[in-house]
Amino acid sequence: MTAALAEKHGTDAPAADDTPRRPPTRRTKRERAFDDVPRWQIYVPLGLYLIFTLIPFYWMLLFAFRPAGSTSLVPWPMTLDHFSKVWNERSFGIFFQNSMIVGVATLVATTLVALSGGYALARFDFRIKKGFMLGLLCSQFIPGALMLVPLFEIFKNLQLINSLGSVIIAETVFQLPLSIILISGFIKNVPVSLEEAAWVDGCGRFRAFCAVVLPLLRPGLIAVGSFAFVHSWNHFLFALMFLSEQDKQTIPVGLNTLIGADSVDLGALAAGGVVAAVPVVIVFAFIQKWLVTGFSAGAVKG
Amino acid sequence: MTKFSKSLGSAVALTAVLALTATACGDDGSGSGDEGKGKGTITFWDNNGGPRTAVWTEIIKDFEKKNPDIKVKYVPIPIADVQSKYDTAISGGGLPDVGGVGTAYLANIVAQNALEPVGDRIAKSALNGKLVEATVASVKVAGGKGDEMYSVPTSVNNGTLWYRTDLFTAAGLEAPSTWAKFYTAAEKLTDAKNNKFGFTIRGGAGSVAPALDAAYGQSGITDFWNGDKTTVNDPKNAAALGKYVGLFKKTTPSADLNNDFTKMVAQWDTGTIGMLSHNLGSYQDHEKALKGKFAGIPNPIGDGGTRVQVSNPVDGLGLFKASKNKAAAWKFIEFAASHAENSKWNESAGAIPANTEAAKDSWITEAEPTKLAAAALTDGSTKVVQLPYYLPDWNSISKADNEPEFQKLLLGKVTAQAFLDKIAKELNAAQAEWKQQNKS
Repeated sequence: MTAALAEKHGTDAPAADDTPRRPPTRRTKRERAFDDVPRWQIYVPLGLYLIFTLIPFYWMLLFAFRPAGSTSLVPWPMTLDHFSKVWNERSFGIFFQNSMIVGVATLVATTLVALSGGYALARFDFRIKKGFMLGLLCSQFIPGALMLVPLFEIFKNLQLINSLGSVIIAETVFQLPLSIILISGFIKNVPVSLEEAAWVDGCGRFRAFCAVVLPLLRPGLIAVGSFAFVHSWNHFLFALMFLSEQDKQTIPVGLNTLIGADSVDLGALAAGGVVAAVPVVIVFAFIQKWLVTGFSAGAVKG
Repeated sequence: MTKFSKSLGSAVALTAVLALTATACGDDGSGSGDEGKGKGTITFWDNNGGPRTAVWTEIIKDFEKKNPDIKVKYVPIPIADVQSKYDTAISGGGLPDVGGVGTAYLANIVAQNALEPVGDRIAKSALNGKLVEATVASVKVAGGKGDEMYSVPTSVNNGTLWYRTDLFTAAGLEAPSTWAKFYTAAEKLTDAKNNKFGFTIRGGAGSVAPALDAAYGQSGITDFWNGDKTTVNDPKNAAALGKYVGLFKKTTPSADLNNDFTKMVAQWDTGTIGMLSHNLGSYQDHEKALKGKFAGIPNPIGDGGTRVQVSNPVDGLGLFKASKNKAAAWKFIEFAASHAENSKWNESAGAIPANTEAAKDSWITEAEPTKLAAAALTDGSTKVVQLPYYLPDWNSISKADNEPEFQKLLLGKVTAQAFLDKIAKELNAAQAEWKQQNKS
């Protein structure tokens, strides 16, 4: 049998082998059907899809690195002039820093509050629980633009206009409903008996939560945190409306100022786009595995 | 009723009540403000933040040098969102002392009672008699409050037909100075198989005003209103527009259907398209991409021998009523609209100055498209059809409400007459409503 397999695969495996082997796992019918498909039928469509997805990014990189006025389809000779312009002349260094502050603070605030809210929804029964959950869902139907004026009034009264705090609070508030629902789904998946065991061992509720539940929530926390970060990083409206000082503005607002009334500097716009995309790409590159797990698990097991 | 339905009902009701309550708050931004002591810090919102940041920084530096007691806080606002930024600030507070205000949305801000009338201040200032009469008239009309002015004009743009001189020379064509020459050139320069086109038409955002420009330009109709009814759907305009949109896909790229000015200009600057109808604002972009290979002229002359074009928005500076330091704010406006600074700003923007002395400066004669545009506006050779910027509904009628209709027109799903009839119906209603509101 082993010899036959070796012959089939063209390997030099010995005909007899004394070392104990694990029995081959049974492959499902679906997996066997997948093996029968020629590889090109899988890779060609995937390759085409990848090219289709990457073309806009290539276009952005092309304009960002190509000298102004060039019509070449490759970014050569390469220039960093556009990056220098957006970073130094158009204050993207400051915008980047502000966006990072907003993104990280929103991530932290959203995750912490969503953890508390999600735990309460998952572990406690109270009279208006269903109504509360529905309220959270309904809040998703309210567009941010509708809340602009009231939020503006509130932040003005709190002396928070022209402060990054206003954007962080607004972003957190808009992220929370979905985040709470997701985290609540995750916590429900952690058996209460695990926590009870910790209580028996002398832990209080908070310590049991930190020691037992929290480590199991990693995919959910990463999903919620990254979603909060990326959303606040890209969000334009609140930053535009609540911040009226140049050195407080964020990357999305800065990007929009590169489009003038009658002219647009495409090189600078593309370079600004690259600067804006880099953190998001890095975040997704590191967390994509947990992100997919996190969203699917939190979403379906409520 | 089940428990679930009750909860759902309560939640929806609560959401609706919260949303409605929340949106009901706010003030109207019409606080009377204060003259102040003429010193301190003032805030200035640039309505075309980004592209004009460098020149404004320079002007502010000049101003602060001359007025050491006044500091100007500069805030660049992206042009696409300036109206919503003003609207939010009018509703919630936080308006600047001075703001860039174009005639395209001046009426909207005036209607919300947020701007200070500036006619008297101009009359008592060094700007008296130094503003180009056509821009003053445009600002008065756009404000919609009779002879009162609600912004100090600083700059005017003009529709320009940009064309590739290298392609025209190679094809043995004359400059497209008349509509007949324009159509001939569009056809002769098209070689669709080799991705060469004679013209690029604006089919995406901002498509309606250029379409009206082409319609009035060819029909020769010079008035927008005939009594209380608009002339926009005059059969002559419909025929002219039908001919113009007939170019779509024949002598233009099919991608034009969704092109806003950004894509249209980028397409023209990087491709082999013979002509582009835009305004003076894209001059610098063409200079960078096509230096020495292009020229810009005002709209073509019609069969009647006269150039007719629709009015272009006039940019200006507004003094906000809620300002607590109007004296200092006015000093800044006066300074920015003065000869030297207005000239500096317009040279940077490639636009036509609203200051009469700045309009005579040498840089204008050196920039051929600007010179021709300035001449067209001042030498009496051009009839300008005044678009009704004063109507608060003008922006929605000329943009969101009818841009999808224009795409249908390009695709042949509606006729030019039907398209213009729809616009005319909306305009006539808006005009009647505006007249009713301004009866007193």
